[in-house]
Amino acid sequence: MRSPPPIAGTQTRPGIASAEAGLVLLDGPDGIAVTMTAYAASETGKSLIEAAQRAEHWTEPDT
Amino acid sequence: MFTDRFLKGRRGVQLGVEERAVLEGAISEVRTIDARATIVRAGEPLSNSTLLIDGFMCRYLDDREGMRQLVAVQVPGDFVDLHAYPLKTLDHDVATLTAATVAIVPHRALDGINATMPELTRKLWFSTLLDAAIHRAWLFRLGRLDAVGRVAHFLSETNARLLPVGLSDGSRFALGITQNDIAEICGITNVHANRVLRQLREEGLCVFRSSLVDILDVRGLARRGQFSPDYLYIDTDMTRSPNESQAS
Repeated sequence: MRSPPPIAGTQTRPGIASAEAGLVLLDGPDGIAVTMTAYAASETGKSLIEAAQRAEHWTEPDT
Repeated sequence: MFTDRFLKGRRGVQLGVEERAVLEGAISEVRTIDARATIVRAGEPLSNSTLLIDGFMCRYLDDREGMRQLVAVQVPGDFVDLHAYPLKTLDHDVATLTAATVAIVPHRALDGINATMPELTRKLWFSTLLDAAIHRAWLFRLGRLDAVGRVAHFLSETNARLLPVGLSDGSRFALGITQNDIAEICGITNVHANRVLRQLREEGLCVFRSSLVDILDVRGLARRGQFSPDYLYIDTDMTRSPNESQAS
């Protein structure tokens, strides 16, 4: 498996989620500042994990 | 004089005596406006521009669901819609945040300045370019910073803008806006703004309480918000607080 090509601006540090007043706040990576309901955060989390797993198994297409 | 704060402390554009007299003479009316009043609606034809004398105003856009994004905050000394002079309509609304006093300058008076006073015209142009520079900084803030950084940047910027017009002592100033306004400026929710302001207080950087901002660590707050005042084109000796000047 080859590493994906470097793309400027790709974040290498994770964002930090916290709970406040019954909502989920996501801070960072840079440029990210989002408030979500618990449902939206949970579904986003699942989607992120699934996408991360696909990205980890990414292979460069044959040319 | 109504124009005392216009371009005050800005690099290379101080108004001369004659220029100030001409600009004062261009004012047709001075008005007081209640807080939270919209004075210009996007798309309506305009024949005047408005100089903010006292109070805080904003430019804003609403999304399809009516959620507001502030795209500029105007402080005393700013023209809130000088760009309406060439554009004749605006692509955003203009409103007061606090009670405000404004001077009305008819566009026909600006026509006269434009025709006869090129140096004053350049200075008016400068003020619209200053708006553009601030817009670029706001784009950077929303595009590159997290929530704490955005609020830190906004409060640092506001402190730097109020210092030359005598409305900040370098670290403390009245800012008659709400936590919700800060949220709408920084593209975050009210809950997020509340948490960020608490975090800034706990980190010993800044306290925002009862519309009074007390920056406890000017350099630390600027660092947290990646703020540098260069884009405000303020005379160098006015970018430092009196306390910093004494210390150096």
